[in-house]
Amino acid sequence: MIKNYFRPSTIDELSELKIKTNGYLFSGGTDLFVKIRAGAINTDTVIDTKYLENEELKIENKKLFIPLNTTYTELRKFIKANQINPIIENIVKTIGSPMIRNRGTPVGNIANASPAGDFVLASYLLNASVILKPSSKKIPVEEFIKGPGKIELEKEEFIYGIELEILDDYKFYFEKVGRRNAMIISIASIGLLIKEDNEKIKDIRIAFGSVAPTILRNKEIEKSLIGEKIDKNLFKYLANEFFNLSSPITDVRASKEYRKQLVYNLTLKAYINLYEKVVI
Amino acid sequence: MKIKVIINGEKKVLDIEPHEILLDVLRRYGYYSVRRGCDTGMCGICTVLFDGKPVPSCSVFAARADGHEITTLEGLPEAKEFAELLAEEGADQCGYCSPGLIVNTVYLKKLKIKKMDEAKIKLIGNLCRCTGYEGQHRAIAKFLGVEK
Repeated sequence: MIKNYFRPSTIDELSELKIKTNGYLFSGGTDLFVKIRAGAINTDTVIDTKYLENEELKIENKKLFIPLNTTYTELRKFIKANQINPIIENIVKTIGSPMIRNRGTPVGNIANASPAGDFVLASYLLNASVILKPSSKKIPVEEFIKGPGKIELEKEEFIYGIELEILDDYKFYFEKVGRRNAMIISIASIGLLIKEDNEKIKDIRIAFGSVAPTILRNKEIEKSLIGEKIDKNLFKYLANEFFNLSSPITDVRASKEYRKQLVYNLTLKAYINLYEKVVI
Repeated sequence: MKIKVIINGEKKVLDIEPHEILLDVLRRYGYYSVRRGCDTGMCGICTVLFDGKPVPSCSVFAARADGHEITTLEGLPEAKEFAELLAEEGADQCGYCSPGLIVNTVYLKKLKIKKMDEAKIKLIGNLCRCTGYEGQHRAIAKFLGVEK
């Protein structure tokens, strides 16, 4: 049962409260309070980060900085106003429902570190860094997230913001498989980015959600494909590789066998949608 | 603890417990249009406007409402007109989900949304388990003045 509620207004105050109380930080609370009510989290202290004086969304050196407390709705508005390419927007618009996006935050999604987190997938694709305070450490997201719900955070630290690359001239595909239209927690998802040069790969990034303890991305495979001709055989090879690399679990949403098959099928589907014809 | 809020245009001071969720506080103070559905932010039944934007009140920490403005169905004069359209189109069966849908649809009217596709996307978080949505869509189209 929650007995204490704090509203720190400075970084140091927040950090001290976190050490002293071991309380849970929240911004929108769309996840935390559901978990508390379900008994999945038991805490007597919550710390509200919304009153912290922090920076605004900003673009610097082709990078987008998203501070804590920025909601998905605010992020979408900013992307539209600044005409940032639609990669992030295409993922963000599928998260939760409009009501949840009015409260929920990208930083919260990273902090939860779910392998099904759609914004987590976006952050892997866009080589995100997580910025911590008060240490001012900057850690690549794939090093920051250690496993389902596990993040690399010292007792006094908290996530202050995330920084994502802004990319131009990339082909993009994103799909998540779920059981309904709104509030989908994905059974499996894929995000693909390709930069081409004369029908050959100049850069490729491919990531899968919900099919391993963390988002699945493999930079060695990506590197080995640079200069390769883009065709169906290449994607069959990729589909096979990631079928083997994936290590999903069986849960209430789907079995591990089904999820592995989805990895294969979604990879080919991404190719067909981008290079042959659009299929739903 | 005490929080200051504006509910349906009226300034109020509410007495809350630190662990309370907005949905429970609103019901305790008699705003019975705000109903409990899934309690996880998924069904949209408990929707209220928070500083003018729709949010699931089951997922809002009550203490966080301090200094903010909340509008429930009781505070929306347009609600009655839409409720009558819902009845006309046979869009209410049990009626349990109607308050959340009405709050969100009145919000869409304020945004001057006149395309059905857009309205459907914006209402994706409001579930109804009786009707199959056809009747609701007819009522929504009439209420928003959707151009055919």
